[in-house]
Amino acid sequence: MIKLENISFDHCIKCTVCTIYCPVARATHHFPGPKQSGPDMERLRIKSPGLLDDSLKYCTNCKRCEIACPSNVKIADLIQSSKWRYFRKAFRVRDFFLARTDLMGGVATRASFLVNFFIKLFPVKFFLDRFMKIPSERRFPRYAQGTFRAWYKKHRKEQEAFAEKAVYFHGCYVNYNNHDLGKDVVTVLNAMNVGVIVTDEKCCGVPLIANGYIDKARKNALFNIESLARSASESGARIVSASSSCSFALKHEYPNLLELDNSAIFDGLDYITRFIHERFEKGNVPAMGPVPVRAAYHSPCHLERMGGVMNTIEVLKKIPGLELTILHSECCGIAGTYGFKKEYYKVAQKVGDELFKRIERANPEIVITDCETCKWQIEMSTPYRVEHPVTVLARAIDGKKL
Amino acid sequence: MRYDCVIIGGGLSGLTCGIRLAEKGARCAVISTGMSALHFSSGSIDLFGNEGEGKIVFRPFEYLEKFIGSNPLHPYARCGSSRVREALFYFRDQLDLEDIDLYNNDDANHFHVTTLGTLKPTFFSQRSVFNEKIRLAFEKKSKIAALNFEGYRDFYPELAVINLKRNVLFRNIEISSGKILYPDYGDPQRNPFEYRSIDIARIFDTERYLEDLAAQIRTAAGDAAFAAMPAFLGITNFKRHHQLLQQLTGLLIYEIPTLPPSILGMRIDNALKSRFAALGGVYIAGDTVRGGTIAGGRLESVFTENGGSSALYAGSFVLASGSFFSGGLVSEFSRVREPVFGLRVYSHAERSKWHAQEFFPRNGHPFLEFGVETDERFNPLTDDGQRLGNLYCTGALLPHYNPIREGSGGGVAVSTGYRAAELILAGNR
Repeated sequence: MIKLENISFDHCIKCTVCTIYCPVARATHHFPGPKQSGPDMERLRIKSPGLLDDSLKYCTNCKRCEIACPSNVKIADLIQSSKWRYFRKAFRVRDFFLARTDLMGGVATRASFLVNFFIKLFPVKFFLDRFMKIPSERRFPRYAQGTFRAWYKKHRKEQEAFAEKAVYFHGCYVNYNNHDLGKDVVTVLNAMNVGVIVTDEKCCGVPLIANGYIDKARKNALFNIESLARSASESGARIVSASSSCSFALKHEYPNLLELDNSAIFDGLDYITRFIHERFEKGNVPAMGPVPVRAAYHSPCHLERMGGVMNTIEVLKKIPGLELTILHSECCGIAGTYGFKKEYYKVAQKVGDELFKRIERANPEIVITDCETCKWQIEMSTPYRVEHPVTVLARAIDGKKL
Repeated sequence: MRYDCVIIGGGLSGLTCGIRLAEKGARCAVISTGMSALHFSSGSIDLFGNEGEGKIVFRPFEYLEKFIGSNPLHPYARCGSSRVREALFYFRDQLDLEDIDLYNNDDANHFHVTTLGTLKPTFFSQRSVFNEKIRLAFEKKSKIAALNFEGYRDFYPELAVINLKRNVLFRNIEISSGKILYPDYGDPQRNPFEYRSIDIARIFDTERYLEDLAAQIRTAAGDAAFAAMPAFLGITNFKRHHQLLQQLTGLLIYEIPTLPPSILGMRIDNALKSRFAALGGVYIAGDTVRGGTIAGGRLESVFTENGGSSALYAGSFVLASGSFFSGGLVSEFSRVREPVFGLRVYSHAERSKWHAQEFFPRNGHPFLEFGVETDERFNPLTDDGQRLGNLYCTGALLPHYNPIREGSGGGVAVSTGYRAAELILAGNR
């Protein structure tokens, strides 16, 4: 029996506009494009899972097809969910570890010096490439020593003293790799008289979804919805996240893909630049010194899908001295764990090629983007350093060097 | 978020309006649910092509002068014919800045060939579709070769040739059809039947295969002076590739619009978006306006699906959300409604009168003339009769014109979008 609510593929009028805007279809002929892999094949898959065409594995879930679709078909959701609905679940060590960002981070941050050292060694790279199918060209993000949460614990008291507070979903990257970004969030929000509350959280689920660990993703999602909702209602605060993909998952992937009710957090949850920009508009602008830097801004796919790009741009425009070029919207290609897989690495780099060229032409000193994996991809593939918009804002506030 | 003007709909009309406003320094945002109908268009801009009953209009501006007097509710009448002219040539100049040359036969219409090989009168075409040289070669009755890639399923040259030969204009012209093969780029996984216009456009855009393709075109065209090909000669830099291909083949290469996705339409879409962005406009893609707050005869703000509780405020708003196809109008069993604000709609109470009996009626279907009722300033009324003085309705959403019968869709979109911008600018002065 076909569930009537699951026939959004039937709204597809076969116009092929999604395929035009699919960065993967542009990069490789091995991917037939979102129309064929999504709504077209869905009819066949419903009839018989035996008719599954495994070329849909090439989809990166960037959601550009959904932005382009004039008929509101949830094309990427159809493709992503097929990955676990129809594929035989074979255990892959690599995918298991890539998907468990919090497990890996928890271990690595205990001896980050060693991990960061070993991961760059040739024999390790060779092993990862040959046996784990993680390409040796891929550069890994550095692990930090200790966790952001441990740092926050020492500052909890002063944060709770603020009259207005925001619940901050920091995500795995801030907790295990980049404490500084978390501290910058605290600097910026504090300067706007907002205290930062950190509550219990698990990985948002983006890498789990991408690697087909859907039960685990649902478990994490339920935990996060419950924990964030409780903390927000206790303190009467809004919820913010400074990772565009975490925010996108919490807000849209939970209900649309994981089919979970996230109404308890949906309205209260903002990607951080929306939260900041709304306060800027009401006159709550902190004192800022000049940041005389030539920067190019890259808008991540998931932030585009959420409609949050304009907030980031408006916030950046408020920073004195910042010379900003807005790059034409292109996908960087990494798509989270996708670019860490040998079978997709070349496609990922080809997808990103257009963006890399455009960055080159813009001739900036730094690149600004909201997404941590876009940052890894751009820093690996171009000579430019990449910073988060909140970091740039924090430097304008605290006057330290960017 | 606050703007001077928020435009709902990112198609031909919304973007023309946005470009005019942004050029004059207004802070504008365009919100668009998915890509616009330009992706399904011929890429030519029609002004007025048919009088009805199959009679062709040759000089559209002259025709409009009379037409407007007897059709006071028509969107052109509400703009005024001199403003229609101003709008169209403004549009041409804006595209020129984005390196798209539009050809117009002075004040007269010209014809473009359709996928099926029929002729359609239109006012502006890209120069790969019509230009002075093509006209000259045509007048000299030069031989034409209609070519296609083997396996491409969205154009059938044999069919186009049969239809063209039925036309008086082509009576004494020799037309052949022929095939060329996709370049071999070492990718055996893809069946040629799967290629759509966009895949082929990308082959041209790489420029790597131009020489090989030119040699093939040369052979397939035989002794023809023209090669008519489906419009897929690239998107980025297509002008250069078109010129190169003409040089390499020594032929006039002529583009025929294909089934969607329309490369010709996409070039215009790209150019308009790029122009709008260059003027500082904000284009919000993939979001849908769900409603707005109305107070004292004014629309104060709109809220969107993604924005949730945070609304977009503006001094003026433009609704350019298109007709039924784009979701600007919605038909239910017994009524037609405007889904965003529930504005008052012109339609017919009796469903059986919405459409003609034939599928391709000579005078078009009546439902094409339905739309949001406005006053002469393009301000609509809410369902309870309140006039919204700062909301302007433009483009395919408007009633009292029939884009199919008249051949006027593009011109109405451009001129009403431009007119709304002028009204907004005058109001702010």
